[in-house]
Amino acid sequence: MNLKQFLALEADCDPEALVDLRALDCVSEYDFHLMCPICHCPFVQPMRLQCDHVFCQECLSSAITTSRLADSDEFPCPSCRNPTSDVSTSVPRLLINMCDDIQVRCPFTVQGCQEIVPRGHVQSHVDKYCGYRLVPCPDGSCNKTTRKKDLHPDERCMHGLRQCSHCEEDIMEQDYEEHDRELCPSLEATCVDCETVVLHRDLKKHTETCPEVVSPCAASKYGCSIKVRRAEIATHEQHCPLIAMSPYFKAQNTRLDSLELTIRHLQQRNEIFEDGLANIRSTLVESARVGVTDRTSGRAAIDSEQARTEDSPEEFADRSSSVSSNATTYLLSLHESLRDEVGQLSHAITDLDARASMAIMNESLRIKEDMAHTNAAVNSVRMQVQWLMNPRLHHGTRAGFRTNTASTAGNEGARSQLTSSSAPGTSNTAGPSLGPLRPRRPSDSGREGTKL
Amino acid sequence: MGSQKRIAKELAELVETPPEGITVELADESNLYEWTVHMEGPDGSPYHVQRKIPGEALLPTGYPFKPPAVSFATKIYHPNVTTDEKGSMCLGMLRPDEWKPSSKISAVLQFARQLLAEPMPDDAVEGRIAEQYKNDRKRFEEIARDWTRQYATS
Repeated sequence: MNLKQFLALEADCDPEALVDLRALDCVSEYDFHLMCPICHCPFVQPMRLQCDHVFCQECLSSAITTSRLADSDEFPCPSCRNPTSDVSTSVPRLLINMCDDIQVRCPFTVQGCQEIVPRGHVQSHVDKYCGYRLVPCPDGSCNKTTRKKDLHPDERCMHGLRQCSHCEEDIMEQDYEEHDRELCPSLEATCVDCETVVLHRDLKKHTETCPEVVSPCAASKYGCSIKVRRAEIATHEQHCPLIAMSPYFKAQNTRLDSLELTIRHLQQRNEIFEDGLANIRSTLVESARVGVTDRTSGRAAIDSEQARTEDSPEEFADRSSSVSSNATTYLLSLHESLRDEVGQLSHAITDLDARASMAIMNESLRIKEDMAHTNAAVNSVRMQVQWLMNPRLHHGTRAGFRTNTASTAGNEGARSQLTSSSAPGTSNTAGPSLGPLRPRRPSDSGREGTKL
Repeated sequence: MGSQKRIAKELAELVETPPEGITVELADESNLYEWTVHMEGPDGSPYHVQRKIPGEALLPTGYPFKPPAVSFATKIYHPNVTTDEKGSMCLGMLRPDEWKPSSKISAVLQFARQLLAEPMPDDAVEGRIAEQYKNDRKRFEEIARDWTRQYATS
């Protein structure tokens, strides 16, 4: 049938008259395959889906109403979530039989019914046979309920009060018989030990003091196994060695208790300290790891060992001493390796220094040599220039003397030939003074300055 | 109410035969829908401390048709647990479209504990932690252990 038909099906049955099979107390163990995956009870009116998963009718209809998308014809199976549109009422007879065969207690156990019946029969048991089922009082004006078996054959109300003839208590009529037989405190009872007859209500007090009641020795908790009548217990207790020792036992017990308490306190403190230590250690390892990451494999091995010790804090207690010595050696080795490294570095620096100064010296020597060469060349060039200039100068001086006496114009012309630096407007007076000197060019003065 | 009966049944089962490392009780005796869960960190995981990690399971009134919600009461450093105050846990099987009414809370809790042992970084809510879990396992475990020690034991 499709989903709509299925949902309509449920509205037909009347839940009031039926026993709630899910609330029953199962006596026998049942296979968990018989359990509905939704309500976790043995199937009640099982239904089957296309995917062969089985659910109670009631569970299935609430699953459909919650998980079906607005009025669609499909809904996901609560077990495998396969889309399903069809519900089959036919499940294997075997399954129904197995579910109906589970032994359950009658739902009126609280009222006193001791009956255990198969689940399939519980409905008929309640309907027909169970005397403890609560039924409304036959008297319409009384709103109480009464157990079915207590109903008066004449169908009259049994809820009226009636006074007990012995204890003068008011008892409801339906309970009167039971009260009169067992519960009335003014009934007489016989003590099982001394066979004295006492009142029912005094029986308890009597058993506490009855000299015939067999009771254990006061030192039973310390191991005395003797049990004698109360009248004789005093004689026994005078001779019982355990009684004599009981004060010591007691003192020892209190001491043990207090010691246990102290130990617990110490354990707690120890735990706190261990936690603190572990914290410190993890910070240490952390800081060490930052420095060590690019170091050699040997140190990495130490590091990993350190990490391993940290991995198991519960083993820490028994290994704490070795771990702390480990940490010290580790730090020492770290220190040693650092020292080595610093030594290597300083060595390298000295090496470099020597090499650099050698290089500088070589270079400067070559430069010096070069300079000497250049100086020599310059000197030779100067010599050549002088040698070349000399005849010309001589020639110039001689011409100068000659023109000086003849005309100034001639002098000027000759001088302008010789030197470019002399201004054309030089006075006549300056002319003769230049004559004996060698005429200078700016490059000459520069060379004289640099001459060594 | 069908849901109460089933919840009571599951609770009784969990209290009677608790799964390994998990204890369950009602946060409030009169309310079946709020459970207090104590979970022991799995052996060898960074969440293994002497005390159990407290958490809670909230059951909707529509249970078992609606999924329950599982969260930790203390901060947990884990790719699948949010690091905010709620500490809610992301379990695939608890997503509304993945949930099946036939799943039991016992299974959910056992799955949650399994997740502590083996996080699922591909299904993470805290992407940064998932990244670290994948790339720098050592550091992740260190922080997770630190957090557990710091929050779960105080």
